[in-house]
Amino acid sequence: MNDVFLPDLACLTGLCDETPDTRTFRLRFRDSSKVKDFRFLPGQFIELSVFGYGEAPFCIASSPTRPEALETTVRRTGQLTDALHQLGEGNEVGVRGPFGNGFDVAAAEGKDLLFVAGGIGLPPLRSLIWNVLDERSRFGKVTILYGARTPADLVYKRELDEWGKRSDVEFRVTADSAQPGWSGAVGVVPTLFRKVDLRPKTSLAYVCGPPIMIKIVVQDLVALGFKEEAIISTLERMMQCGIGKCNHCAIGHRYVCRDGPVFSYGQIKELVD
Amino acid sequence: MALAIEKKAVSGWLERLLKLGEVIAPTRTPTGDVLFSNIRSGSDVAWNLPNPLHPPKEFVLPQTDPLVQIKRNGQHHEVEAIHDGRRRFLVNARSCDVKGIAFLTRMHEMEPADASYLRRSNNLTIISLACATPCPSGFCICTDSGPFLSDSYDVQLTDLDKSYLIEVGSAKGEAAVAEAQGLFRKASEDEVSQRKRLEETAKHHFGNETCHFASAMRRISTGRVPDILWEKMSDWCLECGGCNVICPTCYCFSVKDLGRDGVWVRCRLRDSCQYAAFTLEASGHNPRPEKKDRMKRRFFHKVSAQYYTRDGAVGCVGCGRCVQVCLGATHMPAVVAAIRKGSWHE
Repeated sequence: MNDVFLPDLACLTGLCDETPDTRTFRLRFRDSSKVKDFRFLPGQFIELSVFGYGEAPFCIASSPTRPEALETTVRRTGQLTDALHQLGEGNEVGVRGPFGNGFDVAAAEGKDLLFVAGGIGLPPLRSLIWNVLDERSRFGKVTILYGARTPADLVYKRELDEWGKRSDVEFRVTADSAQPGWSGAVGVVPTLFRKVDLRPKTSLAYVCGPPIMIKIVVQDLVALGFKEEAIISTLERMMQCGIGKCNHCAIGHRYVCRDGPVFSYGQIKELVD
Repeated sequence: MALAIEKKAVSGWLERLLKLGEVIAPTRTPTGDVLFSNIRSGSDVAWNLPNPLHPPKEFVLPQTDPLVQIKRNGQHHEVEAIHDGRRRFLVNARSCDVKGIAFLTRMHEMEPADASYLRRSNNLTIISLACATPCPSGFCICTDSGPFLSDSYDVQLTDLDKSYLIEVGSAKGEAAVAEAQGLFRKASEDEVSQRKRLEETAKHHFGNETCHFASAMRRISTGRVPDILWEKMSDWCLECGGCNVICPTCYCFSVKDLGRDGVWVRCRLRDSCQYAAFTLEASGHNPRPEKKDRMKRRFFHKVSAQYYTRDGAVGCVGCGRCVQVCLGATHMPAVVAAIRKGSWHE
C-alpha cells in the first residue's frame, strides 16, 4: 500500500514570467524513473509542495505530448504561492499526482474544437491545446479565443503569437480594456463569438476562466446552439488531499479532485450542494 | 461459541495484553473529566465510567497526524513517510464508538487506500462493552450502532454481574482472547440467554431521544429542505466546530507543514466543515460563504442517500455527543426532527 501523502521530489529547471504576478515553473523529478513513469492527461492537476508551507493544487499546464517539460503556471496570491515565487532554478519542490479525471482527448477526436479562456484560465486549456496541435490531424477545426482584463494580463504571449500565425488554427485575442501599444481587439471574450465561424453542431467547447466569465460564456454558447454536454469546463475548489478524502472540494457527494476537475456543463448543473 | 470470563480474572487478561502493546481505556482525570488514555495496570479499568466526551478516533486518526518527515539538506530535501506501527488494545469502548471506527475504516479503505490510517486501525483491537442501559443522550438504536452489536466488533463483552460474556467477532479478537486461554471458559446456556434478555431490555429503555432519519434523508438527498429552514437553524450555530471534534465519524482534514529551520513534519490536521475558511480559496472566493451553506453541507454528508449509498450507513452512530456539546442545540436529533417537521422552534 502506498503512502498517499508522500511527495516525489522535483527540481525547478526553468522559470518564465508571464505577467507581473504570474510565472510558469518547469519541473523535473529527481528520480529519473519517475521522469519516465509520470503519465498524465491534459486537465489533470498536481499537489505541489513548497516545503515548510505545505502543498496546494495546480493544474498541469504542459502537454502530455511533451513529457520532457512538466510545467505549471501559478499566480502569486497567497502564502504558499508567494513562497513558490521566491524559489529559483535548482530549488526543490514536492509533487504528488497526477490527480483528477482530465479532459477526454479520445472523445474530441474528429470534432471541431472551440477553446474559450479568460486570464489565468488558459493554463489548463494550454495542456489540451498543445496536445491537439501536436496531433493536429486527429481533430477538425480548431478555434482559440482568449481574453484578459488588460493586455499585460495575457499569459504565454509568445505562444499566442505562434497560434496567431498558424494556418490550421483560428486564433483571436481580446482585452477588456486597452493599453497604449495594444492594437488588438477590445472587449470581453464573448464579443469574439461574432468574429469567428462557430460550429455548434459539430464542436466541443472548452471554457476556462473566472466564474463570472464562465457563466456568461456558457449562457452565450447555449443560446448559440451548443449542447450542454458539449460545453466542458474545469471547476476550482480548495483541494487538499487530491484523492477524495479531506472533503474540502466536495460538491454534494462528488469530489472536484477525483470526479473532476473536468465536468460538462450538463454535469455541473446536476451537482447538488 | 460464546465464552465467559469471571470479572475477577479480567485484570489478569489485561496484564497479558499490556505485555503485547498499549492498553487504552476510559479513565477519570484528577479534574473529573473522563478520557480515553493509556492504563498501566490491568486493574486500572473502571468499567462503570460514562463514555468519554472525546471518541476514541484519536487512536486511528489523531487530531494532529504526522504523515511525512521533511529535512532540508543544502539544496536538497529528504522526505520519508512516518509509520505508526504501535499495537494497541482499546478496552471498555462502547458500541457506538466501535461502529464509529468501523465507519472511518471503511472510508479510508476506499481507493486509494490510506496506508497511514490503515496501519493504525489494523494494529488496534477493540474490546467493547455492550450497553445494558442506554446513555442519557444516546440514540444508537436509530443508527444501527447499539446498544448491542451484531457485527464490526473484535471482542464484545456483556456484563452479567459476576462474569462477562465474551463474543469474538474478528481474527484480531481471537488473537486477543488466545493470549489468556486459561482465563476463559465456555459460557453456560443461562449466560447466553441472559445476554439476549439484556439486549431486549436495553432496546426498550430508549426514551424520547430518538432520531428518525428516513424522512430527513429523503428531503436532504433531493434538496427539498427549504433554504429558510437552514438559515433559521444556522442562526443558532456558534460555528465552534465542537460537533466535528467529538463526532466519531467526522474525519475532514487539512494538510500542513509543522516545524521550522529546514525540519518539518507534514501533518494531517482534523478540520471542521463548519469553519468559514474550510472552503476559502486563496483568491478570496468561497463556495460556502454563509453559515447555512456549511450546516447544509454537514448534514448532507451525514444523512443524504448519496452518502448512505457510498458508505453503507448514515454518518452518525447515535452516541449523543453532539447533543452534549452543541451550545446552539443544532445537534443531530434536533436538526433531523426539524427537517422532518419542516420547522425550527416554532
